[in-house]
Amino acid sequence: MNTAATKTTDEHSDSHDHEHHDSRLAHHFDSHQQQFDTGKLGIWLFLVTEVLFFSGLFGFYAVYRSLHPEVFLYASQFLDTTLGAANTVVLLFSSLTMAWGVRCAQLGQTKGLLVCLVTTLACAAIFLGVKSFEYTEKAHHGLLWAGMYQSPEHHEAEAAAAPAAGGEASDHAHDESAAAHDDHSDDSLFEKTKHTLSYMTTVLWTIILLSGVALGVLIKNPNKKTLATIAGCFLVSAMGMQVGAYASIGYHHLGHAEKPTDEEILMAETVPAEYAKQKEKVPEPELAGTFFSVYFCMTGLHAIHIIGGMIAISWLIVRTVHGAFTTYYFGAVDFVGLYWHLVDLIWIYLFPLLYLIN
Amino acid sequence: MATVVDSSNPKSNFPIQYRELNYLNCSKGWKSWFFTLDHKRIGIMYLIGVTCAFFLGGIFAVLLRTELLSPNRVLMGPDAYNQMFTLHGAIMTFLVIIPGVPAAIGNIILPVMLGAKDVAFPRMNLGSFYLWMFGAAFFLAAMVLGGLDTGWTFYTPYSITSSTAVITALMGVFILGFSSIFTGLNFIVTIHTMRPPGMTWFKMPLFLWALYATALIQILATPILGITGLLLIVERAFHIGIFDPALGGDPVLFQHFFWFYSHPAVYVMILPAMGVVSEVIAVHSRKHIFGYRFIAYSSIAIAIFGFLVWGHHMFVSGQSKMVAVIFSGITFSVSIPSAIKVFNWLTTMYKGSIRFTTAMCYGLAFIFIFSIGGLTGLFLATLATDIHLHDTYFVVAHFHYVMMGSSLVGLFAAVHHWWPKITGKMFNEFWGRIACLGVFMGFNLTFFPQFLLGTRGMPRRYYTYLPEFQNLHILSTMGAYLLGLSSALMAATLIYSVYRGKKAPANPWGGASLEWQCSSPPPHNNFDHPPLAGDPYVMESVVYNEEIGGFVPVESQGDNKESVTASGDNEV
Repeated sequence: MNTAATKTTDEHSDSHDHEHHDSRLAHHFDSHQQQFDTGKLGIWLFLVTEVLFFSGLFGFYAVYRSLHPEVFLYASQFLDTTLGAANTVVLLFSSLTMAWGVRCAQLGQTKGLLVCLVTTLACAAIFLGVKSFEYTEKAHHGLLWAGMYQSPEHHEAEAAAAPAAGGEASDHAHDESAAAHDDHSDDSLFEKTKHTLSYMTTVLWTIILLSGVALGVLIKNPNKKTLATIAGCFLVSAMGMQVGAYASIGYHHLGHAEKPTDEEILMAETVPAEYAKQKEKVPEPELAGTFFSVYFCMTGLHAIHIIGGMIAISWLIVRTVHGAFTTYYFGAVDFVGLYWHLVDLIWIYLFPLLYLIN
Repeated sequence: MATVVDSSNPKSNFPIQYRELNYLNCSKGWKSWFFTLDHKRIGIMYLIGVTCAFFLGGIFAVLLRTELLSPNRVLMGPDAYNQMFTLHGAIMTFLVIIPGVPAAIGNIILPVMLGAKDVAFPRMNLGSFYLWMFGAAFFLAAMVLGGLDTGWTFYTPYSITSSTAVITALMGVFILGFSSIFTGLNFIVTIHTMRPPGMTWFKMPLFLWALYATALIQILATPILGITGLLLIVERAFHIGIFDPALGGDPVLFQHFFWFYSHPAVYVMILPAMGVVSEVIAVHSRKHIFGYRFIAYSSIAIAIFGFLVWGHHMFVSGQSKMVAVIFSGITFSVSIPSAIKVFNWLTTMYKGSIRFTTAMCYGLAFIFIFSIGGLTGLFLATLATDIHLHDTYFVVAHFHYVMMGSSLVGLFAAVHHWWPKITGKMFNEFWGRIACLGVFMGFNLTFFPQFLLGTRGMPRRYYTYLPEFQNLHILSTMGAYLLGLSSALMAATLIYSVYRGKKAPANPWGGASLEWQCSSPPPHNNFDHPPLAGDPYVMESVVYNEEIGGFVPVESQGDNKESVTASGDNEV
């Protein structure tokens, strides 16, 4: 403390006054313990704000599910439970590796920490890969938010009734001509999904190639550690997403009867007796699109948080490579870990609330 | 240790009054300001930004009032009028009052009051300032890109169909929300973890209690505003049918979401001002604050109650009668902690040696205005009365009494109280007091007639009105002019002092809290050693010293034995 005081009085370039003496201890803290406690309280409060941020969406979900239970019952049939479950497992595993990483950091095991962080990053990327397949598939089925929603029973009715909103996401989902809603149309929709996804996979292959080359070139150069690590993070992320996307495509090749067929849609509607009676007049609940509004808002915001987490984990990886963390300075790993667990936890709620409605 | 850089006072037993090298001049160049991590400099930048926004919003207000001089067109058409009141409201709320006391004054004073070197997260502090700047930029962009005419409340469905730049403005609100969250988070963590030895929770100055309560609201309510703004942006851009009744959405849900933030936000505006007044009244009455614990707890109670009353904005929006009754009841109960504060301030002044300094004048103005603002709130909390008064000028007058009259006058009190500490200069008390009188008169002249207009049925946000309302409207406009001029005079007095004011002593008013122990303006690191904190309201611990022109600790006033003994007995 005294040393810090003497140092700072003659050092006045104040944007740099966090890097003096013990570079791991900021100038306004007395001890590492105080610094750690401060960060810990800060991250917990931040998580509180995150929970509240999502609570608006959960509140919206609660209100609409209680007002229109039939919409949720009907529309959740279109979500792929298997892919959702796979993603849940992936995220849970990433939570494990994150927690393990924190332990490694506490014990000063830099190599273990690095492995754990990279695995976590890869899992996050796999999650996003699967999610992008799901989104693309929904778009091609016209299962979009209320303003862009196209009833799956009206694929034959031509996209004459143009969507109310000027959306940009996937206009090509609607210019398909009178494709009858049968297995054949499902096939063509799947082909379209794969085609759209191929743009993403091409970009990802390019990223993998470029970052792989960059990593190979830079890894030997001790002065370019940061750049090499960033390239490595890109490589891992792109490969993870690729794995997720291809795994989903492969899964659909195998089990694509899992997709809701006519019968299943029919069943979904006829299960509650009162809808069976109305079936002639109301083939599907009027506000079915609202479910997909909820779906895209909640999973979209969650995906943004996943991306934020990936950036944070990459930052940790860079710092780990530089040997920033020691047994008495591992706060950052701990705090990002807490954030990551929260993001997982939100998914743990989203999965049953959206996918497992029965 | 090289601590004493320079002192204008050679007497070694006095604390250093002034240092050649302080936080204002310890580094130079625009980079040293724009990339600074020093909480004081960040606070100064906030203060400048807030002042600019205040005068921008004020110009809108003056234009609005000018338009209302006559029921017919004076300056602008109805559409321009709608945009004008929206921008006035949005700028004043999001850019001025919410960051006013906490982000600007709190940033400068909180760590010094704690005897800390900085806030817990200096980088985040700078980040939140830049978020404020970005948010303000979005607001300005919205003004250029077609304006905004939804009212600052953005009620759906109009905000979905309005052709103005709603998305840009909402982006601004979203970003400003995060700025506010980070400030609050920083303050809570700083208060929890960086208090000096000897400062227990109940030895904290009440301003810190108020900032703590404010910060709790900021981090617990603002995320809801963030998600609401985001959903409204998505609703407007993609039509997701959440708030749009045409797609099965629920506009009242928007009102619930919006007020779940915006009602607590009202306490984000008023609580820090209350904290300021607690300091100002005690210091300028030279007396220990009365009912310390009650004031401290009432801040927390207001913060908690603040979360449970949002439904009183929707008494006529079709919520259930049961809910309305409950909200009405809880709303009444908010008046209890507020009244506790007012009574304690009054009792603090009782038998104190009150000095009518500018800061104290603003403090007294606050108590007067806040009492009216608070009590008229009870009219609006009463269900039956509210149906008559809802969306009339009565509401406008009520919330201006609280938000402008109390929050901003609290900000003015804070600025004058801590000005010597912030800038190291004394302002001209005479002109300061004249400006204060002008603000007080102008404010009441502007808004008291609006209570009368409201009870007679003048609806808010209307471009025109019945001819019989004209006299009161003219009165109100005259008040607005006076208010505007007085605010300008206040700013001029303060800015003049920066260049021509005389040097301030470390403790010009005789405060006992820690910020008066470091020199004015504070050095870069505030304190060389963490100071020892005692009771922040033992005013007898400092005595006036002619030579210095300010107060010094009794211990250093060597031969002054009487005051030493006096401080031992009183008030401990």
